[in-house]
Amino acid sequence: MTDTLPAQPSDTPGAAVGRVLGTADATPLQFWTAVMPGSFLQLDDVVVTRRELPGREPVTIAGVVTQVRARHEGAQFDSDVFAIADGTLPAQVQEAAEITATRVDPEIYVPPAPGALVHRAEGDARARALHFDRMERRIPMGTGRDGVPVYLNADFLDGQRGAHVSISGISGVATKTSFATFLLYSVFRSGVLGGDAVNAKALIFNVKGEDLLFLDHPNSRLDDATIAAYAKLGLPAGAFPDVRVYAPPRAGDSSGSPDVSSRLAGVDSFYWTLSEFCADRLLPYVFADADDERQQYTMVVHSVAAHLARAAQPADGGVSLDGVRIGSYPDLVDHIVEQLTDEETRSEWAGSAINTGTVNAFARRLIGSKKDLARLIRGDLATRRPHSINTAESAQVTVVDLHNLPDRAQRFVVGVTLKSEFERKEKAGTAKPLLFVVLDELNKYAPREGSSPIKEVLLDIAERGRSLGVVLIGAQQTASEVERRIVTNSAIRVVGRLDPAEASRPEYGFLPTVQRQRALLAKPGTMFVNQPDIPVPLCLEFPFPAWATRVSEAGAAPSETLRSIVQAADPFAVVGRGPALADDEIPF
Amino acid sequence: MTVRIFVDGWDPAYGASFEASATAGPAAPSSAEVDAGVEVPTDAWRPLTAPPAVRAPHVVLLVDGVRRIDAGLWTQEEDGASYPGLAASYAAGVVRCDLGRGAAELAGARVERGLFTASPSATDVVAGQLRYAVHRVAGTGELSKLPAAVQAPLTALEVEVSNAARTDGDLLIVDGPLRNRRQLPRTIGYIKTQHSQYLPAALSTVVTGLRAGERSPVFKLGTAWGGWSWYVRLPGSAGAPWAGIVRVECSAELPPQEAIGLADLSLVTLPRFASTPYKDPRAPQNLIPIAGLERRLRALLGDPRLLYRALTLAAAR
Repeated sequence: MTDTLPAQPSDTPGAAVGRVLGTADATPLQFWTAVMPGSFLQLDDVVVTRRELPGREPVTIAGVVTQVRARHEGAQFDSDVFAIADGTLPAQVQEAAEITATRVDPEIYVPPAPGALVHRAEGDARARALHFDRMERRIPMGTGRDGVPVYLNADFLDGQRGAHVSISGISGVATKTSFATFLLYSVFRSGVLGGDAVNAKALIFNVKGEDLLFLDHPNSRLDDATIAAYAKLGLPAGAFPDVRVYAPPRAGDSSGSPDVSSRLAGVDSFYWTLSEFCADRLLPYVFADADDERQQYTMVVHSVAAHLARAAQPADGGVSLDGVRIGSYPDLVDHIVEQLTDEETRSEWAGSAINTGTVNAFARRLIGSKKDLARLIRGDLATRRPHSINTAESAQVTVVDLHNLPDRAQRFVVGVTLKSEFERKEKAGTAKPLLFVVLDELNKYAPREGSSPIKEVLLDIAERGRSLGVVLIGAQQTASEVERRIVTNSAIRVVGRLDPAEASRPEYGFLPTVQRQRALLAKPGTMFVNQPDIPVPLCLEFPFPAWATRVSEAGAAPSETLRSIVQAADPFAVVGRGPALADDEIPF
Repeated sequence: MTVRIFVDGWDPAYGASFEASATAGPAAPSSAEVDAGVEVPTDAWRPLTAPPAVRAPHVVLLVDGVRRIDAGLWTQEEDGASYPGLAASYAAGVVRCDLGRGAAELAGARVERGLFTASPSATDVVAGQLRYAVHRVAGTGELSKLPAAVQAPLTALEVEVSNAARTDGDLLIVDGPLRNRRQLPRTIGYIKTQHSQYLPAALSTVVTGLRAGERSPVFKLGTAWGGWSWYVRLPGSAGAPWAGIVRVECSAELPPQEAIGLADLSLVTLPRFASTPYKDPRAPQNLIPIAGLERRLRALLGDPRLLYRALTLAAAR
């Protein structure tokens, strides 16, 4: 073992802040440090100590502060504090800090010697303590309590060694979506992914308000302090450069204009044509409630979907079924219901041995979906008009606005979009370019109980997405209500402010007790991030968004969004898209 | 060839206790000459209170020492004779009570260890990392006399630490009689337990009749270590006539007026430090800072079991 690094940086830790306590057990993974007079240690501070070993190289034990306490030494009774404050009883205030080891180097698990000096880890020592030195590609996530950047190992985000992020926290103060978008921003702008970042795409579902519709607008409230915070992380402070926003068509509007109120320019509407609905067998996603799957009529759903795929003929936007031209989703529903209730055609649609009760249950549900889905499944708009969400052909960041859709429609959009994106990635067969999917309220789409088509897609992404380059950034109020396999497949777990009852659930077992308590009062912008490299979750603060999060913050819109939708669409793409067109036909 | 040492198997606590046991009041009448008419004529003796203008000093220093026998020893001389010895640890410290700032802190503490024996050939004992310096005791040095021999170096240590902590305008309270510390300025001795009855019976009734916050007039003791003296009753006690009564003394060399000034000063200072019975069995006489100081000092003395073991190991080597 003559191999010595030229400049062993462990010789240059920061200032001494205390000594290892001898009145409490010091163990290799956890020990207490008495804080020297005139020094202090706060939670999350990074410290390092050394242990000399006979005949071996010294062991460097690094850790983070997970608890601090102060007490009066020399006081026996609680009321002694008054005598001490009065100046009559001599006592000493002694602070002590509990250190949870993050790194033992070399890996000889010996306890630190009581009395050994404990240094504040700074610079390289801090990076080593937090394993940043082993990260080949580091994505800045924010700053620690000490104001120094903390990083995420990109290997655990882009699928090389792990993928998926699970963000939990109560609504409003946990800033889950902000952190997810900041993480994306950091991935795209830090340059850590190199060339991959250019081609990587993000698909963001906007479920609440119009928060995420302004990602490409600079934040007019951006101040110098925030710019400095970004600079410290090595990031430019600005908006997302390449964003495309999709919104559902306005209800009852025959022109299919997007249903947004605050963002007026640069929004495309998305919908599915009836022929796509039939050919791609999207009917099961209408029944995407976990309730639906338990019912008998699932069989009917699948046989009707199969029949639609078989029988429906595209007819100028709409479809033609059994010789009838159908021009809208309500018409389609009426037609299906009519055919199912007819004794003669029922077996053709639903298969044999289906009793009327099941058919009626199906019909009832289908009729109920008319109102919700009529504006998303269209037969009245031009087929060639770009209307589908396809991240491969979209901008770097694709925002799909769901916030003013009813629940069933939201599930339909999420389910169909994820399915088509995942199938596209499956066909491509390569992990690159990466696709990041940001989905809030994961507990709604992939609940712990029951099963649904969306849950199947999400499970597929969680379990196979890593190798296909689909990275799920899921957010939820309660991780305990999300399908366990999705949570366990997330390499990176993030926690913001938690509900007290929720914090005690086993899903948060990665948080030490003190951090669980702290998560109850984490303020907005504070997150605890657990990554496989580092045994202790890191507490960090990420900077205020440099992009607008609401219309009042939005600065000047980028020039692309000011073009009309028609201009924004590539005319040649429109021409080339129609499936029925052969090369030698006239496209008009 | 140095002298052999054997550590006594008996727990040192079985030896003579250092701590004077608190008694209900003075038992033995003293033959000391008393001049009781210095402040108030003896026929007009009455409880006194401090003048309203007297304020407690901002800084009060309290000095105390603790001793502990770590082991009883026996030496084996080359001529076959044997002497008893004591390995004792003792520590002195000063508490600086800054009443203005509301902070009491240990202003200085020293720990020393000594081997007390009459053996002519004994040398320092090194036990582990500690050295018990030999203090040769004059005379025959029987075991029962040895504990008292610790007092002299302890008092010297107390003087040393208290000198280091003095500032202008402070008041130094010495736990116990002043003895040879009378030359220290602004210093009073604080005697918790009353063994001797110095005053005649008629005047003693004034003392037992004191109420909390009152003192007796200053009187002069004519003994070798005597000086100006007065009694104070501390608050928080009720019942027995001598409960809560302490005797305070100052140097005989001071002019009477200064002694009376110190008496008034002690009357406004001491009650503040009186302890409460449920926290301290020697309440209220054992002052809070002194109790805290003793606890700290005992902690500084080290773990007795560890020292006993180290001494046993050192003797066996």
